[in-house]
Amino acid sequence: MGNPSGAATLSGNGSSFLSRHQKGFVIFTFMVIPMLLLFLFTYLPFFKMIQFSFYNRNYLSEGTFVGWKNYLDVFKRDDCFKVLWVSVYYMAGAVIQLALALFFASLMVFKVKGSNLYKACLFFPYLICGIAVGYIFKFFYAHGYVLDNILMALGVAEENLPLWLQNTKINNICLAATSVWRYTGQNMVMFMGAMMSVDSTLYEACELDGANNWQKFKYIILPSIKTIIVLNLILSISGSLCAFEPPYVITNGTMGTGTYFVIMNRIAHENQKVGLACAMAIVLLVIIVLCTVGQKLFFKYAYQTSDDGSDPRPRLKNEKYAAQKAAGKAGV
Amino acid sequence: MKKAIALALSLALSASLLAGCGGGGKHTDIPEVDLPAINEIKLGEDYQDITATVKVLTNRTDIVDTTYAGYAAQFHELYPNITVEYEAVSDYEEALNLRLPNGDWGDICFIPTSVSKSDMASYFSPLGDMNTLDGIYHFISDKSFNGVTYGIANGGNADGIAYNKAVFEKAGYTSDQDKLDADSSLKPLPTSVDGFLQALNDIKTKTDAIPLYTNFSDKWPMGAWDAYICVAATGDPDFHNYTMVHKANPFSDPGDGTGPYNVYRVLYEAVAQGLVEADPMSSDWEGSKGMINRGEIGCMVLGSWAVQQFKDAGPNPDDVAYMPFPITVTDSEGNRVTSAGGNYSYAINNKNSQDQQIASMVYLKWLLEESPIYKDEGCIAALKSEPLPDFLADFEGIELIPNAAAPEGEEDFFDKVNLQSEVGINNDDYPDCNIVEHALLKDKTLAEIMDEWNQKWSAAQEELEIEIKF
Repeated sequence: MGNPSGAATLSGNGSSFLSRHQKGFVIFTFMVIPMLLLFLFTYLPFFKMIQFSFYNRNYLSEGTFVGWKNYLDVFKRDDCFKVLWVSVYYMAGAVIQLALALFFASLMVFKVKGSNLYKACLFFPYLICGIAVGYIFKFFYAHGYVLDNILMALGVAEENLPLWLQNTKINNICLAATSVWRYTGQNMVMFMGAMMSVDSTLYEACELDGANNWQKFKYIILPSIKTIIVLNLILSISGSLCAFEPPYVITNGTMGTGTYFVIMNRIAHENQKVGLACAMAIVLLVIIVLCTVGQKLFFKYAYQTSDDGSDPRPRLKNEKYAAQKAAGKAGV
Repeated sequence: MKKAIALALSLALSASLLAGCGGGGKHTDIPEVDLPAINEIKLGEDYQDITATVKVLTNRTDIVDTTYAGYAAQFHELYPNITVEYEAVSDYEEALNLRLPNGDWGDICFIPTSVSKSDMASYFSPLGDMNTLDGIYHFISDKSFNGVTYGIANGGNADGIAYNKAVFEKAGYTSDQDKLDADSSLKPLPTSVDGFLQALNDIKTKTDAIPLYTNFSDKWPMGAWDAYICVAATGDPDFHNYTMVHKANPFSDPGDGTGPYNVYRVLYEAVAQGLVEADPMSSDWEGSKGMINRGEIGCMVLGSWAVQQFKDAGPNPDDVAYMPFPITVTDSEGNRVTSAGGNYSYAINNKNSQDQQIASMVYLKWLLEESPIYKDEGCIAALKSEPLPDFLADFEGIELIPNAAAPEGEEDFFDKVNLQSEVGINNDDYPDCNIVEHALLKDKTLAEIMDEWNQKWSAAQEELEIEIKF
C-alpha cells in the first residue's frame, strides 16, 4: 500500500500482457460459471439420457446394454408412439389459441377503453402454475360442479349434461381447452409487443389512404409481426407435443387422455423402465426438431411464392423513407 | 479469441467431469462396521454411552412435528445421549429415489418401493438374521434378502373392505350374530364374489348410498386392489413371491371363484353394472371419507389403515367397520385365511459411522417395541406378541397371513417380472385404472384384459428365463 510506484510498475508490466490476453481472459471469466451451469444441468443430463436410452435399466441399478431395442419398442408398442395422436387435440387448440390471441391483440392495439384491464384479465391465467390450473379445471369439469351448474342455470337439463372427463368424444377437447385458456393471454402480450413496435406513421399513412381496420391488419400488422407469429406457432406446436400438466393433474391420462409425456412419465416412474422412457424422450426431440424445421421451410416457401417479391412491408418502408427524404428536402 | 473460448469450455468440462466422478464414487463406500443384531439389543441398558444425533425421514408430513416429535422426546429420556430428529419428506418416493444414491440423507428411513430386494444391501444396514427376526416381528420376509433382514415394517394392515354397517344392514347384511338370530331376513356379510356383487345391488335398490366408491380419479386408491390377489384370493402364502412368478397365465379364471381374476371381477362388474359413483373421473378422496361415515357410501376397497380416517371424518365413527375380502379360501387345515401386509419398512443408512448406525438401531427397536406408535396409528403392531386392534372384529377366526419370503436366490424375481411385464402389481396403479376404463367404455371384457396381462406376464417370464412350474 505504501508504494504507489510499485503498483504502477506492476500494472505497467501487466498492461502488455493484459492487452494481449485481456479479451480472452474477460470472456473466460464471464463464461466459466454460466457454461459450467449450462453443462452441468443441461448437457450432462442430456448426454446421460442418450446413454440411458441404450440400456435396459431402472433408477437404482446399472442395467444392461440393449442397443436399439428401446427405440424399436417406442414404435412397436401400442402405448408409445401412437399416443402422439392425442397431441392433435392440443395442436388444434394451439391454432385456435393463436387466432384468439391475434384477434385480442389487434383489438387492443386500436385503442380500446379499459384495454389494460382486459390485458391483465387475459394474461392472468398464465401466471397461475400449471398444477394449480389443473386442479381448477378438475373441479370445473367434475360431475355436478362448476360447469354443470353454470349450464343448468342456463337451462340445460341435468340428464343432457355430458360427463366432461369420462366421455372419450369430448374429454381431450376439454383438456386442450384448459391450455388455450392458460396461454392465450401470454401469446396476446407477445403479439401486442410486436404490433407496438410497428412504426405508427405507417398506420397514419394508410389511414390517409382510407384503409379500414381489416386492411390495416392485413397489409400492415400481419406482415410486420410475421416472425413473431411463426415463432409462436412453432412454440405452440412443440408445446402441444409435450402437453403434460392438464392430463396428468385432471385425468391422470385415463380414458384415452394420456399424452406422450404422461405415458413417458408412467413408463419411467411406475414401470421403472428408464431406458425406454429416455428413448421416448429422444424420439420426441427428433420429432420436434423435424416439426420446427418443417414449419420454417413451409413459411419460407409460402412467403416467397405468395408475395412474389412484392412484400408490402419493404415497399411501405421505401415509401416512408421517400416521404422522409421529401420532407427533409422541403425543410419540414 | 476462439482459443480462449475453447480453453474455457474444456476447463469447465473437465472440472465438472471431475466433480461428477467424485460424486459417483462416493456412494459405493460402505464403511466397515461391527453391528449387533436388533434382537440382541437390550433397551435401556445397552449402548447408553453412545452419543449421536439420529435423523429419521418420514412421509408423514402431517404429524411429524407433533406425534413423532413426541416419540423423539420420550426416547431422549431413556437415552439422554441420543437425540432423534425427524424430517418430513413430501413426495416421499420420488424424493428418496434421488436422495438414497448419494448416501448423505440421514439415518433411518422408510424403504421406498422402488428399491428392489437385491439392491437393499447397498443402501441399508443388516438388522439381523431373517429366521430369528421372523419369530419376533410381523412381515419380515418383505425386506429380507439372502437370509438377512434389512427392513422391519412399521406395523401392518389386514386387507379387506371398509364398509358402513348401517348401510349394509339396511340392505339386509350384518356381521352381528344377535341381529342375525333375531331377524331371519338379514343375511351374514357376503363371503363370495357373487354374493358381494348381489349385496352391492341390494344396496343400490334398497338405499340411497353409492354401493362401492372407487376413488378412481385419485388413481392411487385403485392400486389397493392389487393387495388382494395373493393370499386373500388364493390362500397360498407363496403366491406373491413364488407361485405367481412361476405360474403360466396367473390371471386366468380358475373357475372356482378365487384367484386374481375374481378380485378384479368385483371391480369390473361393479363398474359395468353401475354400482359405483356416477362419474368416477370426478371422484374426491377427501370428500369420500365423510361420505362413508355418513352412510352415503356403502363400501370402499382399501387397506385397514383407512378405517381410522373414515371414523374421524364424521359423526358416526361406530358405523365404519372393516370386513375380509369376499373370497373364501382356506389353509391346509381348513381355516379361512386372508392376507395382511406390512406398512413401509424402516431401514438404517449403512454409509454412516458405527456409533451412528448402532444408535439408529436402538431407536428403531424402541420405536417398534415400546413406543405407542401402533395404538396411535390404529394398525397391527410390529411385534407378533401384541394383540389385534379392535376394529378388526370381523376378522375373528380368520387367520391373517402375510406373503411368505421368496426362496433363496429368487428374491427379486417377482419385482423383475412385475416391472418387465408392466402389469405393475402393487407399484403401478394404472393397470387397475385400465380395468375401470374398459368397464366404463364396455369395449373389452374382463377376460380380454386378463388375457393381455397373461401375455405380458408370459413375455416377461420368457425374457427373464424364468421356469414355468405351475
